[in-house]
Amino acid sequence: MVDDEALNEWFCREVLPLEGPLTRFIRRNWRVADDVMDLRHDVYERAFTGARKELPVNTRQYLFTIARNHLINSAKRARIVSFEHVADLETVDSDIDLFEAERHLTARESLRRVLAGLEKLSPRVREIVELRKIEGLTPQETADRLGIGKDAVSGQLVMGMKALASHMLGGTGRVVRPRYGARGRGEQS
Amino acid sequence: MSRAEHAADRAARWVLAQEEESWSAADQAEFDAWLSESDGNRTAYLRLRHSWREADRISALGRSLPEPAERVAYRPPWRRYVPFGIAASIVLALGGTYLYRPEALQPETEQVLGASYATPVGSRKIIAFTDGSKVELNTASKVRTAVRPKSREVWLDQGEAFFEVARKEDQPFIVYAGNRQITVLGTKFSVRRDGEKVTVSVLEGRVRVDEIEQGQAVRFAVIVGGDIAIARGSATLVASHSEQKVEDALAWRRGMLSFDRSNLGEIATEFNRYNAKKLVVVDPETAALRIGGMFPSNDPDAFVRVLSEAYGLKVEETPTEVRITN
Repeated sequence: MVDDEALNEWFCREVLPLEGPLTRFIRRNWRVADDVMDLRHDVYERAFTGARKELPVNTRQYLFTIARNHLINSAKRARIVSFEHVADLETVDSDIDLFEAERHLTARESLRRVLAGLEKLSPRVREIVELRKIEGLTPQETADRLGIGKDAVSGQLVMGMKALASHMLGGTGRVVRPRYGARGRGEQS
Repeated sequence: MSRAEHAADRAARWVLAQEEESWSAADQAEFDAWLSESDGNRTAYLRLRHSWREADRISALGRSLPEPAERVAYRPPWRRYVPFGIAASIVLALGGTYLYRPEALQPETEQVLGASYATPVGSRKIIAFTDGSKVELNTASKVRTAVRPKSREVWLDQGEAFFEVARKEDQPFIVYAGNRQITVLGTKFSVRRDGEKVTVSVLEGRVRVDEIEQGQAVRFAVIVGGDIAIARGSATLVASHSEQKVEDALAWRRGMLSFDRSNLGEIATEFNRYNAKKLVVVDPETAALRIGGMFPSNDPDAFVRVLSEAYGLKVEETPTEVRITN
């Protein structure tokens, strides 16, 4: 058994940086855009549970194998599977090498990502996130300063936190519809 | 609402709640129960907490909005409240164990509560705190220390020191150097003073560097592992992503000096910090010569030999000096 601390650390260090490519992989291989977040949620859950026994040697391969299997199983359950679809998914192993370069950000790149994420927030949410992160105000202090309720502040912080995570982890790349057979290998998002 | 979104909302609320002072044992129990409901909850939580902490990086930048009139006491967003920590640290301070290091090559180790320490030219010394933190003094350095229930403090009066700080959320570790105050919770970094210039090199973790004016923190920068902050007067220069430079700056801990295209004048000054016999570079042209490499700090002769053999410089030795000319 891997202890919780090591598991958490592994998940943040090895799995989360793959969120961008993972999300795009799911998008490319799934017809219903609304399902993508849930599918990713499931993949994370399965990856985490599976790593309890032993941390994988190659996290990237491990994660994308889980993603592929989960997509195939979900497609079977949903009866939307086609032979072409599954065959396409089999190529995942050669495909994921493309993503190698996206990992392990330097401090400066990380900061740039945070800033880029902040820019995409609405002005109100951004202000409240900045009050928290830069001024170190508690939600109550922010509420007092802005003259709004603490619940409203917490609500905005929840939104800000979720949006920042998606922006920073690169999980909101543009929606790429499945193009079976002829995948855009050079695509950027 | 989709299950991913539902889990993310709950997770975000937990992350926020944990930052509050009112976080209680009952909250913790409820949170643990929620976590153990599913690994989906757990991963949703880890994901948000991770990027939310990453976002702490912007604390170094200052607000994009106009600054309010009153200053707000700094509260690190990642500070957690551990009421037992204080009691534990007092127990540790009273019943601390002596840190014994048998390795012959290790500098001598001393224990600390509140005292002052100094190293002569050419020697190093490790000071061990009862909480496991260590301060390693470089050549010709002086520090004073104080451990209090709410803080661990070190004054770097002269020279250079490397700090390996055991993480204690409720007892920040503060280093005072000139008009800079360096605050950390748990990390590895070094601080060096050359007159009014203060250099902070971070090996691991994050460090907050405050500029102090009449007892007040007026400006600050937060730097992380691989960063170097060079402060002089009211100016602070931050070199990010300088892992190699940080490593070079810490070579002294292994008894080495590491240079990457430094000029000979600077290199001589570095050697002179460690040795009684001073290197003197006579003419400015020679002093501007750029040299890289790693040399034992206590053996300037080896370095001087390289100079004469590889660079063809003339070396002249007197009882107190080694004079280098073109």
